[in-house]
Amino acid sequence: MKGKKLWGFGMAAVMLASMFTGKISAEASGDKDVVTALLPPVSATYQDKINSYVEAFNKENPGIEIQVTTASWEDVTQKLDVQVNAGSPPDIAFIGSDGLSKYVDSGMAVDISKYADEEMMADFDQDILNYFKNGDGMYGFPAYCEVQCIGGNRQFLEEAGIDWKKVQEEGWSYDEFREAINNGVVKDGDDVSRYGFLFACAGVTAKDYFSIFVRNAGMPSAFDKDLKYSYTSTKMLDFLTDLRALIDDGAMPKELGSIDAGKRWNMFLTGQTMITGKGLSSFEKSARDNNEKLKNSDSSAVENSIEVDYIVLPVPVFDGGEQQAYGAVDGYICLTGERNPDEEHLKNVAKVAYYLASGERAAQTCQELYLNPICESGRKAYDELSPIEGKNEDNTKAVQTLLTQVGEARPDIPAELSANAIKIEDEVIVPKFQGLLAGEVSPEEMYQAIKDAAYERFGEDGCVNN
Amino acid sequence: MQYPLEREKTMANKKHKLKKDALWGYVFILVPLTTFIIFTLYPVISAAITSFQHYKPLKTTWVGFDNYVSTFKNALFYKALKNTLVYTVFAVPISMFLSFSISLFILPFKKRVQTIFKAAFYLPAIASGVALSFVWKWIYDPMPTGLLNSILHIFGISSQNWLGSSKTAMASLIIMAVFSGLGTSIIIYIAALLGIDSTYYEAADIDGASFFQKVRYVVWPMVKPTTVFLAITGVINGFQSFQNAYLMTGGGPDNATTMAGLLIFNRAFKYFEYGEACAQALILAAIIAVFAVFQFKLSANDVEY
Repeated sequence: MKGKKLWGFGMAAVMLASMFTGKISAEASGDKDVVTALLPPVSATYQDKINSYVEAFNKENPGIEIQVTTASWEDVTQKLDVQVNAGSPPDIAFIGSDGLSKYVDSGMAVDISKYADEEMMADFDQDILNYFKNGDGMYGFPAYCEVQCIGGNRQFLEEAGIDWKKVQEEGWSYDEFREAINNGVVKDGDDVSRYGFLFACAGVTAKDYFSIFVRNAGMPSAFDKDLKYSYTSTKMLDFLTDLRALIDDGAMPKELGSIDAGKRWNMFLTGQTMITGKGLSSFEKSARDNNEKLKNSDSSAVENSIEVDYIVLPVPVFDGGEQQAYGAVDGYICLTGERNPDEEHLKNVAKVAYYLASGERAAQTCQELYLNPICESGRKAYDELSPIEGKNEDNTKAVQTLLTQVGEARPDIPAELSANAIKIEDEVIVPKFQGLLAGEVSPEEMYQAIKDAAYERFGEDGCVNN
Repeated sequence: MQYPLEREKTMANKKHKLKKDALWGYVFILVPLTTFIIFTLYPVISAAITSFQHYKPLKTTWVGFDNYVSTFKNALFYKALKNTLVYTVFAVPISMFLSFSISLFILPFKKRVQTIFKAAFYLPAIASGVALSFVWKWIYDPMPTGLLNSILHIFGISSQNWLGSSKTAMASLIIMAVFSGLGTSIIIYIAALLGIDSTYYEAADIDGASFFQKVRYVVWPMVKPTTVFLAITGVINGFQSFQNAYLMTGGGPDNATTMAGLLIFNRAFKYFEYGEACAQALILAAIIAVFAVFQFKLSANDVEY
């Protein structure tokens, strides 16, 4: 009985203590404006560094406190979507700019152009900053622009007689590319032991193959300047025919539709393909790390892999197209909830978003991802960092060239049109494209399906008809 | 003999006790009832209301039957329903037939051996869906060196693009569903088989019944309640299937494996169209209910629960 009483007193004491400490801590943060952020592991060490970034900011800005919630890449979008639809999102979240229209359409994104200083906005490359604009509003700051292209094995490229340096500098046409990847095929009897080109296309990753290549086929966006849906152009039919031909030639595997990102990287490192996609500049690091493991006979090296010198290559240009690069622009979106924050809080949110996207933070993130910063403060900080040892300078130059070719953002496309285009992409283009890759849907059938869906949503007058 | 006053007192005591007992009964069912109200009833009512709305976190508008109209106009919805039906029609009977057969073969073993088999078959049920999808992707590797393709090569059959071709993608998902879900049905069937009194078998032996005759005339009728239960829950699960298509094919190629569950998920969490997603979910629930009632009427006339 005595023990029970003691236990009861103990529990009561703990409850009272926690009430008091809770009150004290609430009072402590009550003086400060709390800015919440939901962040994924942007780079390998980002989530380790974020605490020191936040600490430094909180020290410099005693009136503001950043509270960070971290989430894995797999969970972050779902977590954010749930919070947005529950009406209580974080103030800042890290997203891909292609998802911007969704949050703008939900009414939860904040136009921070009213709250951010002019210098903050002027710090960024305006073409890239535009990726975080929709209509007249600016909803966040970009962290980086990752050029998505293709990459090759230097040794195999040279064996196939491809002047890869020239390709990096001048690009290549579809015909040149087709010839090159046909030359890269190696056969062992009737079986192919090495393909010329391989792109991860399993499931929804087929969307990447389509999106990255279609830009160079004269359709840089789903809408032209007159806001007409462009994928109904006859250029689309030629583009689809050209892509199918690469499989029919035997330069790409006929099982392309089942090869996921992991499998294609494995096939690249094990010498089963000369060129792979999608290619990111950070793949140079992944290949180099594996080379090191092979040299050191490390058992964690990819099984049956070979030493690979990764070469960044541009996507070929199709008939009627121009050299463009697909830039995945990710960054910090600013959101509001049902709590209707005041102007002071929104100014603080803009300040925190800028802080995370610029300066030393941008420099370190970009260096880790083998990217070039896209803001002036980031470039300055980048120059002060110790350079990456053994980085392929040709790749660095190629990425710089590709960055200048990144297609312009289209903030002029209304959110509703964007949402309809995304639906056509998800419900018609990607499924039909998977069928095209499997040889079950002809280019003509796919083109017709796109036209039918587009006419239904945008009307014939709302589509390009040439 | 009791005097009327005493009897009245006893009655009052009994009533009081009954009331007290009833009160405790209500207290005990309060927890599951509250859970049911919060996690089932409220979401269902909320979904029904949302199905008539264009939901936005800050500005929801009432749209009447628009979400139902757009659902019924959407060709992909019918394709998804057809895919779901095909998946269920094949996966459920095959799974039940295999689990029933395996249970019959496991039954004669000693308890320890039975446990080993049960554990082996039940293992996929406790593995995470993501882990299972990795294993099955490895099995369905489309290259000639892939596991299943290598086996086919032994029999002179050429490589198949299992998940990449609309001819084989659905079959691949069905095979995966069947083999990943056998464990639960086997355990339930074995429990039912163990419940059959041995005198029935002895009587059948005396009558000179063969193994198959015993299965047909003794086992099958005796496990009918279990079969009906597994068929109904299997059909419900089949209609609600989402995970395998989401993880293995994403609904492709050419929407050949897009199930109703995946369509609803995409509508809600990809496009934030909660109203239409709720409308689709309620239509699916109605279809499942019709199937369940039909199954009961067809096969469960002589089964009591």
